[in-house]
Amino acid sequence: MSHTLASTLMNLLLHTLAVLVLPPLIPGLIAKVKAWLAGRSGPPVLQLYYDLAKLARKQAVFSRTTSWVFLAGPVGTVAALLVASLLVPFGHTPAPVSFEGDVILFAYLLGLARFLTVLSALDTGSAFEGMGAAREVSFSALAEPALFFGFAALAKATGSLSLAPMLQAHGMGKVGHLSGPLILILAGWAIVYLAENARMPVDDPNTHLELTMIHEVMVLDHSGRPFALVLYGASLKLVVLGALLVDPLLPRLAQGWLNWLAFLAALGLLAVVVGVVESSTARFRMTKVPQFLLAGVLASAFAFLLLLV
Amino acid sequence: MRDITLILLAAGCWIVAALLPLVPPRKEGRISTVLGATGSLLAIFAAAHALLGGTPTHVDFYFWQGPVRLELDALSAAFLLPLHLVAGLGIVYGLEYWPVHLAKGSGRSLRFFFGCLVAAMSLLFVTRNGLLFLVAWECMAISAFFLVSTEHLYPEVHRAGWVYLVCTHTGTLVLTASVILLAQRLGGFPWVPLPGGPVGTLDVWILGLSLLGFSFKAGLLPLHFWLPAAHAGAPSHVSAILSGVMLKTGIYGILRVSTLLPGPPGWMGGGLLLLGALSAVYGVWNALAQRDYKRLLAYSSVEHLGIVAMGVGLGWVGRASGDPLLTALGFGGAIFHIWNHAIFKTLLFFGSGALLHATGTRNMEALGGLAARMPRTALLMFPAVLAVTALPPFNGFLSEWFLYRGLFASLRGGDSWSAGVALLALVFTGGLAAVAFARFYGVIFLGEARSAAVDHAHDPSLLMLVPMGILAVLALALGLLALPLLAVLDRIVAVLAPGSATPLASLVGRDLRLLLPLEVGLLALGGALLAWLPRRATQVETLPTWDCGYAAPTARMQYTGSSLADGWSVLLPGITQRVRSIRALFPRAHSFHSVVRDAVGDDLVTPWFGRLTARLLRYHRLQQGILSIYILYVLVALMVAFLWLLLRSKLPG
Repeated sequence: MSHTLASTLMNLLLHTLAVLVLPPLIPGLIAKVKAWLAGRSGPPVLQLYYDLAKLARKQAVFSRTTSWVFLAGPVGTVAALLVASLLVPFGHTPAPVSFEGDVILFAYLLGLARFLTVLSALDTGSAFEGMGAAREVSFSALAEPALFFGFAALAKATGSLSLAPMLQAHGMGKVGHLSGPLILILAGWAIVYLAENARMPVDDPNTHLELTMIHEVMVLDHSGRPFALVLYGASLKLVVLGALLVDPLLPRLAQGWLNWLAFLAALGLLAVVVGVVESSTARFRMTKVPQFLLAGVLASAFAFLLLLV
Repeated sequence: MRDITLILLAAGCWIVAALLPLVPPRKEGRISTVLGATGSLLAIFAAAHALLGGTPTHVDFYFWQGPVRLELDALSAAFLLPLHLVAGLGIVYGLEYWPVHLAKGSGRSLRFFFGCLVAAMSLLFVTRNGLLFLVAWECMAISAFFLVSTEHLYPEVHRAGWVYLVCTHTGTLVLTASVILLAQRLGGFPWVPLPGGPVGTLDVWILGLSLLGFSFKAGLLPLHFWLPAAHAGAPSHVSAILSGVMLKTGIYGILRVSTLLPGPPGWMGGGLLLLGALSAVYGVWNALAQRDYKRLLAYSSVEHLGIVAMGVGLGWVGRASGDPLLTALGFGGAIFHIWNHAIFKTLLFFGSGALLHATGTRNMEALGGLAARMPRTALLMFPAVLAVTALPPFNGFLSEWFLYRGLFASLRGGDSWSAGVALLALVFTGGLAAVAFARFYGVIFLGEARSAAVDHAHDPSLLMLVPMGILAVLALALGLLALPLLAVLDRIVAVLAPGSATPLASLVGRDLRLLLPLEVGLLALGGALLAWLPRRATQVETLPTWDCGYAAPTARMQYTGSSLADGWSVLLPGITQRVRSIRALFPRAHSFHSVVRDAVGDDLVTPWFGRLTARLLRYHRLQQGILSIYILYVLVALMVAFLWLLLRSKLPG
């Protein structure tokens, strides 16, 4: 008993630590991969940590137009994502909190983060930020069904409505290792992953033209500590949603620490893949984005249909 | 004192409160407000007592030579609770919002019909007699008509009132047929539940007819078209009671009739599930395109009533297939959502009343930046907006969580197809609701003022703010402290499906015990992060908005509400947009024109009625307007009837 309690506590500690410390590494990795592929040396992998440390010390500048809602965006995003991260298992280690129906809470926490970001963008009264907000709310209404169809398919296959059993039950029933439905679900979720994290080909995080951005343009007016929260929140989202993508693919290993290692390696690999995708594709025209997202919806809808009949 | 007596006493208080403003002293209306609020407190007390484990209480008497029973059981209490919460807060709110001495006596008539409406609905929820139910239904419908037409001097309000009156009476007509059939089935007008048994054809007809009649009131697709104009045109606290409570009398009726008969067949449940899903998506899609913020809220009521109908349909599916889990989650979710919707929609309408008072316009494109001018209103509307979008940690999320649980359970077990479609609809509804309410809050409260209407805006007084504050606290409290409610919901589900539902407490109790602390943690985390951020007053420099280097941004450069929703609203069937393409190198002034109409009401029903009217005008000749001619008609009709009776016996066969 004491052994399981100790291991549970250990896992909880590692999970919290991973959530708090790990995320800024992922954007650094992606940037490094992109730099290598472009033949540059690029910024250091730890660049985001330096940025966060710098921003935490800097003075903030607020727009005169803004109200208290302006701060609700960064604060709400980080708080919602931190709570959501407690529901996601990292690899084959158990999730800190797991109950029937936590999937829905997870999806709606992501929704909360998005909603508050949109409100804080609208609070500045800027045309550009309004544009980003309009795109974000319009596109996410398509990303959510893609996410949920995947959940529905996994729920049907595993008979559970909790993230941990759903993502870790590979080889069970109809969702075998790399079976048709699982591939379709992951394809749909990969599209959601790119869209939600404002990555190519949906959004260009590095562009200098605000007109073509979605997510980055919504946070133009943030600075100092609020901006540090925005950046940290974005990297946290990469990890939390990334866990959804890599968990079903990981094999279950005997030792706890091996599972952790496998998860970290898979997350690193995911970052490399995102870097490669970003380097090899161009951003879509805005009118193409809904079609891309619809492809995601269709992929996970087909997975769902395959499991239904 | 017995609970039902308290309810009757409350109804009596409301009737006196309605009559008081009509008698000569005609004071400010304080006494009638106090009376109404006291009545509501009594009723809330009685309903809460009935829900917390009191046994059903009843009184019997005779009405038109027929026995009548008024009974307060858990289902009645579940609807009385939101009614009296909204009514009690509404009358206090109305004290400042619509003073008695206003505009040619409209204040007095408003109070009179408000009281009548509340008393009629109280009676409606406790009566167990078909005839008395129809009487109460009609009193409610007529009071609501006068309330909607309070500002009948505006042509659009006038029209909305009449459209509502025609619709509600068409519904009543269908309901009368269904009540008569029900009396045939039950052997009399008293509503005594039949013992279980196979579902007959007559039962299906009764259920079908009541579903049709009640969905006129509940605003389910495609019978919702009277709703947006009526709810937008009424005074705001009236809109709150119409949207927050009166629409649900339709749901109450469907539920009550279904408890009298052997359970509805499964296909009916699946059908209601799909109808609800369709209403939800249609309602929210129309909501996101509206420029009139009260119309937006009215369409959002169509959405939420659709979600409630989904819950009821799910419960019926569960009851028909003998799935206790589905029954509990469907009915429990529906009732919980009814409460939650009553709370946040009332708050939203109260807030929109404050906006209307402060700015005098219902057009959101004329507003903006009100968070600075009306900070308290903005703060109180924030929870409402999150709750109506079903985001945690507010109450709207929890009831949708129940429904999601039910839909997923249905996917695994019973009817996968309708549950799959409904699931997609619920998710999509959530996404579109985020568009609609980010737009609502963002365009009205955030950014810069868009017109001079905002210049003199200020917060209302405490009389209006305190009712809103109570509702905002309730929206959060129900979201965080829902655990004790499970036992209460179980009691209501037991009325709807006696003995065939798993207790919710054992079903989701464990999950909620983990979910609710997470929500508390979310709030605590948010507070801690907020404390880490710099204070605006001391540590922050304020500058104009960074508009990519442009140093003089103006309010006109902001995103408008229409452009914000443009991604989805252009796909709406009722929308027409005209923009002339700009060709010249140095283009002159251009215009953009966009009209949102209801695809059912404005594009189908109105033209159809126009054609019908044109055709019926041919018979205008019969309508001479002279009394003696009408008496002649009656005489001729009687003669014909007598002749028919005489001849019928002579005819062969």
